[in-house]
Amino acid sequence: MSFSEADVQGALKNLIDPNTKKDFVSGKSVKNIKIDGNGVSLDIVLGYPAKSVWGETRAMVEAHLKAALPGSSVSVNVTSKVVQHAVQHGAKLVDGVKNIIAVASGKGGVGKSTTAVNIALALAAEGARVGMLDADIYGPSQPTMLGISGQPDTVGDNFMEPMTNHGLQAMSIGFLIGSDDTPMIWRGPMVVQALNQLLRQTRWDDLDYLVVDLPPGTGDIQLSLAQQVPVTGAVIVTTPQDIALMDARKGLKMFEKVGVKIVGIVENMSTHICSKCGHEEHIFGSGGGEKMCADYNTELLGSLPLDIRIREQTDSGKPTVVADPDGQVAKVYKQIARRIAVKVAQMAQDRSAVFPKVVVQNT
Amino acid sequence: MSGHPTEIKLHQQSRLLEITFDDDVCYQLPYEFLRVYSPSAEVRGHGHGQGVLQLGKKNVGVLEVLPVGSYAMKIVFDDGHDSGLYTWEYLYNLGKHQAELWQEYLDELAAAGGSREPGSAPEPKKGGCGSGGCSH
Repeated sequence: MSFSEADVQGALKNLIDPNTKKDFVSGKSVKNIKIDGNGVSLDIVLGYPAKSVWGETRAMVEAHLKAALPGSSVSVNVTSKVVQHAVQHGAKLVDGVKNIIAVASGKGGVGKSTTAVNIALALAAEGARVGMLDADIYGPSQPTMLGISGQPDTVGDNFMEPMTNHGLQAMSIGFLIGSDDTPMIWRGPMVVQALNQLLRQTRWDDLDYLVVDLPPGTGDIQLSLAQQVPVTGAVIVTTPQDIALMDARKGLKMFEKVGVKIVGIVENMSTHICSKCGHEEHIFGSGGGEKMCADYNTELLGSLPLDIRIREQTDSGKPTVVADPDGQVAKVYKQIARRIAVKVAQMAQDRSAVFPKVVVQNT
Repeated sequence: MSGHPTEIKLHQQSRLLEITFDDDVCYQLPYEFLRVYSPSAEVRGHGHGQGVLQLGKKNVGVLEVLPVGSYAMKIVFDDGHDSGLYTWEYLYNLGKHQAELWQEYLDELAAAGGSREPGSAPEPKKGGCGSGGCSH
């Protein structure tokens, strides 16, 4: 008995990828189907980084095909290939960057930088090439959180090599100033120029994702980023507290106004777990993030506890995802990162937001 | 937000910007109309009633249009004006209300005694930010 390519495609149409909730055929993941007698071989190319589930996916697809095509011997190869954000032909995306993910909040102190660095590390742990741009010019945190000191090497007159640690490429104003207590006493235009240089004059090396850790608020930095580069999507970080949610709503609305899609919301400090007795308490209130998601029709990507270890690990330059990669908190960050990657893959392919074709006619 | 444009055509001879939105609506907006209704603070002012009436833009040309993120474009006019960021929503509304807005402009022009012809009249003193104009 032999099978046709259509049989294989037909069988895979009924198999849903648990991450994208789409079948593998319409998700365009099935490539390179080869049939040789009873032998079927094919590649599954996922649009999101997922090293940790390649094995699972392979077993699932093989089992499904064997059941659907009795008597077949099936060999499946699973890999990931992150799709590039669709841009108009010839438009300028940042060199060496496929997708830009902005991490933002309205209010300060809700854990944006901590969330951003852990998401970046979680994406990297799944096999993606990830960069971290610290866009907080007045209060750069990423050098400390990533445990990087020293200055970047310059390349020629105009470029810098990104700094690296924990498998991430990183750039921050913090690498370029003298000491930890040097303030950047700058007005808006200088800050915007600094952001542009950090973004464009860093030699990002073939990144699947550039995670941008934005400062709080809806001002110069946020607006410049949205205006100057096609941001693939924005992740909003908030705590469940009313006062934080109020500002988070403004942050979200700002991105909507400038045409940046919202990937979803991360609720940080959802509960406090007492380090002595383990009692879990909603000290900032409960259900705030969920309600905001419902109000704005967006997804709650995940909730993180207020846990002393997250603070300690991140402050010491080894964020939770690398310090305790198999722990419960790292698992939550990884799940959030997976959800972001899946959504970004869908957004990246959406050509409807691409800048329109401009035709100049002598008419 | 209303539609996203799919194509922009610059008709340089007839001085028309033709914009097609994803709901298949298509508008032809004269360069002069776009120029006098520039959303720039140089034209609109910083508050209600602070707008500066634009004169003598009948023959204004467009040098290029540049993307601003994924929500707007910047139009570079040949009279040096390039500070207006035209959001898709703004352009859609200009198209939708083109007739009324144009009549409104003509009425204001008549009331101020101004002209569409280039170099015909000095700009009347009005509003803006102080007397020195505003180039924020």
